[in-house]
Amino acid sequence: MAEPILIVEDLEKSYGDNHAVRGVSFRVARGEIFGLLGPNGAGKTTTISMLTGLFPPDSGTVTVDGLDLKTHLTAVKAKLGLVPQDLAIYPTLSARQNLTFFGKIYGLRGKQLNNRVKEVLEMIGLTDKADKAVETYSGGMKRRVNIGAGLLHKPDLLFLDEPTVGVDPQSRNAIFENVEALNREGMTVIYTTHYMEEAQRLCHRVGIIDTGKMVALDTPSALIRSLGGGIVLLGVAEEQAEALAEQVTQLPTVKAATRTDGQIKIETHRVQEALMGALDLANQLDVRLTSLEILEPNLESVFLHLTGKKLRE
Amino acid sequence: MNALDVAKKDVLILLKDRGQVILLFVLPIVFVITFSAGISASVSGGQRAIDVPVVNLDTGGEASQLLIEQLNAGRGLKAVEYGEAQAGTDLQEEKIKLALYIPAGFTADVQAGQVAQLRLVRGPAASDSEMATVRLVVEGVADDLSLQTQLLAGLSQMGAMMGDAPPEAQAFTAERIQAQAESQYERAKTEPLVAVAAKWPDVMTGGREEFDPSSFSMAGFAILFAFMGAQVTAQSIYDEKKLGTFRRLQTSPLSRFDLMLGKMLPNFLIALVQVAIIFGLSMVLLPLMNLGKPSLGNDPLALVVVTVVLAVCSTGLGVFIAALARTESQVGGIATVLLWTAGVVGGAFIPAFLLGNFLNTIGKVVPHYWALQAYNDLLIRGKGLVDVLPAVGILAGFALLFLVVGLVKFRFD
Repeated sequence: MAEPILIVEDLEKSYGDNHAVRGVSFRVARGEIFGLLGPNGAGKTTTISMLTGLFPPDSGTVTVDGLDLKTHLTAVKAKLGLVPQDLAIYPTLSARQNLTFFGKIYGLRGKQLNNRVKEVLEMIGLTDKADKAVETYSGGMKRRVNIGAGLLHKPDLLFLDEPTVGVDPQSRNAIFENVEALNREGMTVIYTTHYMEEAQRLCHRVGIIDTGKMVALDTPSALIRSLGGGIVLLGVAEEQAEALAEQVTQLPTVKAATRTDGQIKIETHRVQEALMGALDLANQLDVRLTSLEILEPNLESVFLHLTGKKLRE
Repeated sequence: MNALDVAKKDVLILLKDRGQVILLFVLPIVFVITFSAGISASVSGGQRAIDVPVVNLDTGGEASQLLIEQLNAGRGLKAVEYGEAQAGTDLQEEKIKLALYIPAGFTADVQAGQVAQLRLVRGPAASDSEMATVRLVVEGVADDLSLQTQLLAGLSQMGAMMGDAPPEAQAFTAERIQAQAESQYERAKTEPLVAVAAKWPDVMTGGREEFDPSSFSMAGFAILFAFMGAQVTAQSIYDEKKLGTFRRLQTSPLSRFDLMLGKMLPNFLIALVQVAIIFGLSMVLLPLMNLGKPSLGNDPLALVVVTVVLAVCSTGLGVFIAALARTESQVGGIATVLLWTAGVVGGAFIPAFLLGNFLNTIGKVVPHYWALQAYNDLLIRGKGLVDVLPAVGILAGFALLFLVVGLVKFRFD
């Protein structure tokens, strides 16, 4: 791995009985797009909040560009940019006024500030409407202002927390292109999402988080390869599921077959052969199938394999 | 300084909110004018005169005309002449409540020194207080008239007796004596030797020498609305939390100290501007509207000190409310209860001495009371900085209390 800009070690955070983050550790290389993938409530936003200094972890350390977050909080914050999951801009101010304000907060002044606001307005495609109040914008335009406000000071490390939630496809593509362009300029990006296709498209490496734990961490292709063939989901009547699952497990191409909520999840090296074998067995046992779903190897199926849950559950 | 950037942004947002601008800068002036007019009217007795139907049976009599003129000369009554039959009917039908009858031969009787009987007839609709009021005034006027007539008649008699004396002993003729007496009598009406000034009873004002409605309204509403800025601050902090910008700013290099200072500064500055605008416009508008001329006192430095401490106290209260309230409705609820109730019991609306002993005592536990004490001492009583230091000290104590409790209890998440 290239020189790490971010080192996270044994991060822990609890709220009363809720153990939100459990010993999360990872490193992010300079210039990398790193994805934090997990369902809602997995602990992604809590992790991001601790990494950006919003609140301290119960234990564990965070080092950014060689500086300990705890002891160099202000210096570290100056290197970071955050685009929060929910819109966090001022609706009655214009895009220009919002960007100017956030630029000032990061220490930009005068000509440098004006130039940077102009650049960011061009980048997010709002130069023409820069002086209209944000509350008059469409949802996608507001999202773009939300992103722009995190870019004014050209952060070394940019956190994008679910930036495409509630965004139309056109704006979503624009966001992807912006992230890729920023990364090409050398910006390190940490991108949290529960859309596996986004992580797959954008991220050089992905950490999968579930119930506060990092359950896998590698490149998307390596994670998919580790799964092998794919997953077949068969919907069956509850009383017949156990008998069928036992038989399917015996098939030579099947790695495992488990029952989950009226379904049998079949993990296999070769999808087509496993599917044919399972259908034959269902016929022999006179099992009535209620649904059939084939998951091609992707991060979604990796997540399902690792956690037994779908990302969007 | 990042706090200034936060403050400038908040002022920009505030100025885009017309409702807030009207609440903070326009409404106070409307209140000052309205309450100055109301209080002035009640203090000066400017209420409408009571109509008194008068049946003058002494047609063409000088004394009866003089009586009617003198009844109208005061501001309390207005004599309205009625025919005898009409008055009787209207009394029965309760169209009028009472009537004053001037008997035939009234002038002749008065001039002859005979007893002349005025009759004040009470209709069924008249209340005891109305009867008592009218009777008091009529008796006063009748007494004056009797005295004037008797004195003049006496002097005329003395003049007539002097007419029999030798010429060298006649220093004054009867005509000169009478003219001099009438002149003195007229002068006594406009420049009485014993004057009665209307004033609030000492027991109510605590011995204050005077009460100035325009200065009182100006100071009272400046205080009330300066504290309204606290609600704006609390709402602004709540809005910022709701928008998510409060969290976002905490991930920036902005320190929590700068963030809170930035949120408080607009409240402080707005309070200063409010007081300046309210005082300035009151000084210009109230005299133009004939509602009195408020005073700025004799010690400008003391005025600035009181205003600055008031602004700090309002700012502290804003943080205090923001720390207590967890929802938007709580911000509005707590602010309404705290600010308006404190405004009332603190005497910002109605002079504290009119609130009665109980509320007057309770008023001392709110900062409005002490701010008003300080302003009234400066504006109305013409005192100086040293005199208002105790009140300013207590106001500063409130400010410190609000700030400490507010900042300790404040939740940044």
